[in-house]
Amino acid sequence: MATTIASINITSTDLLSDSLSLSAIATLTTAGSSTGLTQTGGLARKTTESASQYTLFAATNYTDDKAHKIYLKNMETSAGLYFLISIHDVEVGRIYAGDWALIPWSADSTGDNADFKITPSTSASHTLEYMIIHE
Amino acid sequence: MATTATLTLASADIAGDPVSVSKTATLTKAGTINDLDQSIGLNRVHLRSTTNKVLLSANTEGNNLAAKVYIINKAVDTSLYLTVTINAQTVGKLYGGDFLFIPWSQTDTDANIEVAATNWTSSTGDIPVEYALFHEDTDFLTNA
Repeated sequence: MATTIASINITSTDLLSDSLSLSAIATLTTAGSSTGLTQTGGLARKTTESASQYTLFAATNYTDDKAHKIYLKNMETSAGLYFLISIHDVEVGRIYAGDWALIPWSADSTGDNADFKITPSTSASHTLEYMIIHE
Repeated sequence: MATTATLTLASADIAGDPVSVSKTATLTKAGTINDLDQSIGLNRVHLRSTTNKVLLSANTEGNNLAAKVYIINKAVDTSLYLTVTINAQTVGKLYGGDFLFIPWSQTDTDANIEVAATNWTSSTGDIPVEYALFHEDTDFLTNA
């Protein structure tokens, strides 16, 4: 069994009148168990040069309704360049330059395929790093 | 004014070589280097609904502004999960101890973030859920 640990720290000294410090640690496990996730696509990098939508992960390639996790990082440094994240045809949100996200993904393929998609903000070069950790 | 979010992903044995990812993002307004300056703070609810409940209500003025959502399932029992939905689309499930950190577009008033304790029963106990939203000012006073 593999052990993968995800930890998050959100901090601010001046967003509020008191300091904010929020942290959590999760051991990434298979659905409903204490067994660690054992599969990964590895850390990957994709550079786009089109504003078209790309399917990053197709739901049919993964087991439906499991505890998959997706990590994304927009590697750009120009603030206006973003990737729009969509699942099936629903917009989740935009990760702007320097942003990262950790997203649970069910890979639902029982109805409409819940493909995991990205759309770059422009046809300029956009680079994304990403990794899936899955069952 | 700066809020930073740091993620670390580490595993010594999920692949032939160790995985070690550590990234810090400074949370900024859409398309700028100006810091996000609004937050609803850290909230906690105890979920006992097998049907979707609105955790965060979409504000269309926030459409395509920068917003970041943190949600953690604080249940100790790893079999108890939340199903997270946006605009009737299941995003994924957070099992006991899992967290997410996602951007949120608030494309329209249907783009609420909803959660359901899908496998909750009266014998499982409530699922504690903590969540926070960091976002841009959407002229809150005129929408109050």
